Amino acid sequence: MKKLFLTFAFTVLLTPTVYAGEVVKIGVNGMVCDFCAQAIEKVFMKQDAVEGIDVNLTDKMITVDMKDGKTMGDEAITTLVNDSGYALVDITREEVSDE
Amino acid sequence: MVMNNPDSNSVHLHYSPTAKYSLGYKGEYWRDGEYTIQAVQMNNLLKRWNKPASQANIYLKSGVGVAYSDKGAFDHEAEPAFYTGLAADWEDRRYFISYENRYTEAGDIDDFFMQSSRVGIAPYIGEYGDLHTWLMLQVDHRPEAEDKVTVTPIVRLFKGVHLVEAGMSNQGSLLFNYVIRY
Repeated sequence: MKKLFLTFAFTVLLTPTVYAGEVVKIGVNGMVCDFCAQAIEKVFMKQDAVEGIDVNLTDKMITVDMKDGKTMGDEAITTLVNDSGYALVDITREEVSDE
Repeated sequence: MVMNNPDSNSVHLHYSPTAKYSLGYKGEYWRDGEYTIQAVQMNNLLKRWNKPASQANIYLKSGVGVAYSDKGAFDHEAEPAFYTGLAADWEDRRYFISYENRYTEAGDIDDFFMQSSRVGIAPYIGEYGDLHTWLMLQVDHRPEAEDKVTVTPIVRLFKGVHLVEAGMSNQGSLLFNYVIRY
């Protein structure tokens, strides 16, 4: 059992971490229906850096998965949200590792 | 967008370069007067309030074009036509309320004022991509019409890019609206 545990621990510790991309969570005011969400989804999916997007109407939050090694600045995100007709609340970023 | 109600049938195809305005074609057939209006319509978003759980808007909707009638004395008569009106709405994910008015001038063929208001409630709150259902009540007021006030209960079903509304007025007239958004 001890041998198995040590093998597992070394495997985990020695495996190099590869960052798959950045996840950006964007709080949006005024996003109350599917048409609103579609408008935002459409403009983000046109961006080269964007891999995918998830919209949560309950949390008023859009989660944008960036492509490997790509990102978007806060200013660009703010412009996209505002140009879609909605109001940006906040932006938080997370690095997601792909092991 | 295709709208069919006791007063008229219409189709509206428009494009929104930005969230601030849209430009498009609107064709209408007005049943009582038996005339059509073919117009270029512009919708301007005058003001929007984006709140954490709600949104409110004020729009100016205006069109200019040609009215055409061959009813009675109007022997294939075409007249310049224009219309303009304000629309306001407020909604959250449970409740909806709106008001809209319009003045239409179609030369010798017709001119009229109309206004309508809606209240709605969603019996359940769906997530993005779900089928959304709204129960609505629409009140139309046309001071010059035979039936000045019409009340229409409406069911709105909304999924993806498709929105369908169906209802029947207190005068027994059918309402059917369909909106597809690309």
